[in-house]
Amino acid sequence: MVKVRRPATSETLAGRTWPIGFLLILIPALLPAILPIFYTYLLALIFVMGLLAMSLNLVLGYGGIYQFHHAVFYGVGAYAVALSITRAGWPAPVAFLLAPLASGLTGLFIGWFCVRLTRLYFGMLQIALGSLLWVIVLRWYSITGGDNGIHDIPIPSFLRQILPAYYFILAVVVISLLVLYHIVRSPFGVTLQAIRDNAQRCQVVGVNVRLHQLVAITLAATFAGVAGALYVVLERSVFPSMLFWVLSLEVLVMCLLGGWYTFLGPMVGAAIVVTLRTTAGRYTENWTMILGILLILLVFFMPEGVLGFLGKLIARVALPQGRQQEFKRAESAQAEEKVIPGRSSHE
Amino acid sequence: MSEILRVEEVTKTFDRFVAVQGVSLSVEEGTIAAVIGPNGAGKTTLFNLITGILHPNRGRILFQGEEITYLPPHVICQRGIGRTFQIANVFPRLSVFTNVQVAVLAHQRRSLHFTHPAERLAIREAEVALAAVGLLEKAGQVAGTLSHGDQRLLEIAIALGTEPRLLLLDEPTAGMSPEETVATMKLIRRLAQERGLTILFCEHDMEVVFATAYTIMVMHHGRILAQGPPEVVRAHPEVQQAYLGASDA
Amino acid sequence: MVLGFLASQLLVGLSRAMILFIVSAGLTFVLGVLRVPNVFHGSLYMIGAFSAFSIATQLGHHPASVWVAFLTAPLVVALIGLAVERTLLTRLYQREHLMLILFTFGVTLVLNDLVKLAWGADYRSILPPPVLQGSAVLMGVPVPRYNLFLLAVGPLVALGMWLFTHRTRIGKLARAAAVDREMVALLGIDVNHVFAGAFLVGAYLAGLGGALVAPSTSITLGMDHTILIEAFLIVTTGGLGNIWGALLGALLFGLTQSLGVLIWPQFAIVFPYLATASVLLVRPRGLLRSVW
Repeated sequence: MVKVRRPATSETLAGRTWPIGFLLILIPALLPAILPIFYTYLLALIFVMGLLAMSLNLVLGYGGIYQFHHAVFYGVGAYAVALSITRAGWPAPVAFLLAPLASGLTGLFIGWFCVRLTRLYFGMLQIALGSLLWVIVLRWYSITGGDNGIHDIPIPSFLRQILPAYYFILAVVVISLLVLYHIVRSPFGVTLQAIRDNAQRCQVVGVNVRLHQLVAITLAATFAGVAGALYVVLERSVFPSMLFWVLSLEVLVMCLLGGWYTFLGPMVGAAIVVTLRTTAGRYTENWTMILGILLILLVFFMPEGVLGFLGKLIARVALPQGRQQEFKRAESAQAEEKVIPGRSSHE
Repeated sequence: MSEILRVEEVTKTFDRFVAVQGVSLSVEEGTIAAVIGPNGAGKTTLFNLITGILHPNRGRILFQGEEITYLPPHVICQRGIGRTFQIANVFPRLSVFTNVQVAVLAHQRRSLHFTHPAERLAIREAEVALAAVGLLEKAGQVAGTLSHGDQRLLEIAIALGTEPRLLLLDEPTAGMSPEETVATMKLIRRLAQERGLTILFCEHDMEVVFATAYTIMVMHHGRILAQGPPEVVRAHPEVQQAYLGASDA
Repeated sequence: MVLGFLASQLLVGLSRAMILFIVSAGLTFVLGVLRVPNVFHGSLYMIGAFSAFSIATQLGHHPASVWVAFLTAPLVVALIGLAVERTLLTRLYQREHLMLILFTFGVTLVLNDLVKLAWGADYRSILPPPVLQGSAVLMGVPVPRYNLFLLAVGPLVALGMWLFTHRTRIGKLARAAAVDREMVALLGIDVNHVFAGAFLVGAYLAGLGGALVAPSTSITLGMDHTILIEAFLIVTTGGLGNIWGALLGALLFGLTQSLGVLIWPQFAIVFPYLATASVLLVRPRGLLRSVW
């Protein structure tokens, strides 16, 4: 039997780098010891937004699904924590467990209607349903506090300091990423990528495409809910803008910026956006222009995102000569793939 | 021999255009059957109807004696009908191996499993299917980088991964060189013999069909003009006039 | 009196619907012809409003100043749109939707910061042209004259779009390109010109909506956010790329909101979202035929 050689893609290159993965956990665990408080806070925020972006990428990058209103699930998770602590008076652990559950169910509900559709129609129906939720949260003053949001949420006292909060967030994010990584490599994850590549072909090999998409959306929403709960740990506040479409677009941008065909890309994208906002935002009011120009440059010169680009660069330098040829062909094939619009739609 | 596929009076219209009109046909188990006809005769639409990608306006489709007319595509595949497409239709970003593995996992009803990494699953089955079409050497390549001919072969391997009883091949030699065409037809005959597969394929290349198929159905403007063994079909006056005479002249 | 309140709410809803229609018509036209989900359409609307403010205030108290603003501000916006299309967007038409969204979002961020640099973060406002100030009394109910004016402009824009797409060469080509762009290219026509023209018209309509809304609202940063989501929902409800669908969707959105005030004022804004979501649940491809 011939030994099957795995393809040379940035995907598998990332998969071979377990030592790097270990460092990726170790470094953030040690950083607060040397960093000023503000940067510890910043890192925690990056992890929360990164988890949100990575949960989106499960459906966007791996599933090829136009999840245009992912922020809704994040907001639902955050509000689930906020409401069950402040309004229902439930203990915090219950509230934190409720968040992913509420988000997952919302994902299941919205996804149920959306999976009948593909691409832009999928995205637009999701925006319509998600915006309905947003506008209800925005207006239901007696429960949600309307556009004021809810502040000073009494989370357990040990989490109110930045260091414990940081480690709590780090631990939950690391666990979530490990689970996500496991999902991506499981038969389900592989099938999901096949659906992304060619949904029609998947149908006629016996894959129930809509069921898989629904499961993916529910899972992604669940992890978005985890991110929402972590945001409450960090900020102790919730706002209706957490469910607004602008945030959904921002999270989408994080995925594309970091590299939506890579596992950790969305985390990188989140790091870039959050860092830019907080650091450049201190020196200039116009940090969004910098981000805007960055995005425009990205579309033209780095459509695979930062990590996608780096992966290719590394592959070019590190791969033996023979495999480089193979890699180049892979690249050009993927470039060709891009110019065929609607290739994998199955209307 | 028993009947494996039966199509009864099936009609499919798009708006006012009648793509398939009152088509009836029957395929015996273990044979190679072919649908021939010029482009636009309704061959691909017929295949889409059989595999559930489209649903007919009228008529019934039976597979192994059970009606499958309005079942969704993935259920029809699980019942035992595999197919390929006219345009190479693979998973371009995945490796050749994973392309087939996805089909095997779906066939084993494991595509919703989360517990184990996929890398270690369904390896033997996928490799058997790849070996059957001669692509095992290229298992590690990204599917999108294969040549056109290899992508067509990969398509067949994907279909084999689901271990179908009936395999539908939509113009399997389209875009192939004459040598590749001969090799592919040989492959089809071998698959039918070795695996006991029933194969229904459609073509517009007459030579290919008459040399390979046991039964031939001639389609023209959405209707079946004639069906039967090659020599009968060849002699059929309507076929000679409508197809052999006019379209291919 | 109840009837009078109902009538005046209807009028408010209808005039709001006209603004929504004008903006959505531009969005849906670009979506239909160029297949670009243009995220900076909202920014163009905002620039239209700010430009109208600047032009009107520069011209001072002359009675015609606002009229001049109505005429010129959309042109300024159209030129900005054309500049972005010609320099950058034209190179991206073959790319997938996500990349187009990423790009147009990038442009949004740049444009919005430029607006902040040019006009600052303050609230601005202008008065309607003198003849349209105050109220007229219709059937015993006082109604703002400006709303009546908007009611007249909406159908005029619809008529103008119909004439443009049915009576002019470039309009007909744009309509054809919306259905089948390969065919238009096969006719030996430079699709690029058609696209540029279509984008120009789309941007013009965004600017026109912004200029016309200026006298009836406060002009401020962030006004692009809600209009964009509303316009996208309207366009989808109507059927992507269908101008009449945009009119239908805008009426649905505007009227449900204004009538919602009668039913449950606090949740008035929820009603249009509920209405569009319900329509899309039943008809996910929109009420009228989509070109997609």
